[in-house]
Amino acid sequence: MFKELDPILHSQLRLAIMSLLISVKEAEFTFIREKTNATAGNLSVQVQKLKDAGYIEVIKQFKDNYPQTTCKVTPIGLKAFEDYVKALQQYLKV
Amino acid sequence: MSNQAQLAAQSSLALIESMINKAQNRYSENGTLYLLWGWIIFICSLGHYALLAYTSLGANAGYIWMLIIVALVYQLYYLNLKEKKETVKTYTDEMIGYVWMVFGISMGLVSFIATKLGGWQLMYALILLLYGMPTFLTGAIMRFTPLKIGGFVCWGLSISAVYISSKEIILLLIPAVISAWIIPGYILRAKFKNSFNG
Repeated sequence: MFKELDPILHSQLRLAIMSLLISVKEAEFTFIREKTNATAGNLSVQVQKLKDAGYIEVIKQFKDNYPQTTCKVTPIGLKAFEDYVKALQQYLKV
Repeated sequence: MSNQAQLAAQSSLALIESMINKAQNRYSENGTLYLLWGWIIFICSLGHYALLAYTSLGANAGYIWMLIIVALVYQLYYLNLKEKKETVKTYTDEMIGYVWMVFGISMGLVSFIATKLGGWQLMYALILLLYGMPTFLTGAIMRFTPLKIGGFVCWGLSISAVYISSKEIILLLIPAVISAWIIPGYILRAKFKNSFNG
């Protein structure tokens, strides 16, 4: 039986964000935007969705008087990502 | 299962792979700190030896090592500046930072213990032995062979320290820093520049 693919991760930009964050300890919003080539508006919406799902932690702070948003994957997000990859692999074995 | 689902799964995996590569394909090490420490220790050890050999300063010649404080101050300034500019923190950078922090603490302790208990020859042998460790480990973490070679050179020099009881032992630090910091530092700098041009 095929596992249902996680709808939170089964979206191009959200999956790209998670794949980036999985490879690093934490990354700033600007880094994610640069690597995904997404617009700031779209990225904000998708980051918020991942945050609401509990997959990433978003830390907003000030650095040298400039607002700075840092994102990092949570243990729940890591588990969801692993399950998603396993489900993908299952699809490809057919 | 439909071909469409398979195709979607394949493109999702390809996306994951490309993003992971993008996150990892960043050459953040420009070699600055390697060159800073390499040249500072080079100058200190050559200066220390020259002062001992050609002046009557004696034990006071060791004060040349105070130059290390200048390097430390610059390092703090540089790291502070770098942290402000960086938009991502990787586990690799964090590990390498810890490896060198352990080395710094161990060097301070070994210098203190060896001067109190063992004397010069033991101190130089231990310093070279310790120096090889972070150099080799950083090379292994970064998958950067020149640093691994530098580690082996340091270990070889630590053995030779056992057979040199004269003041020439100070000069052993020169090939050590050339192989563990200066040469890798220039190679890292060239790679860093290339990663921007290419």
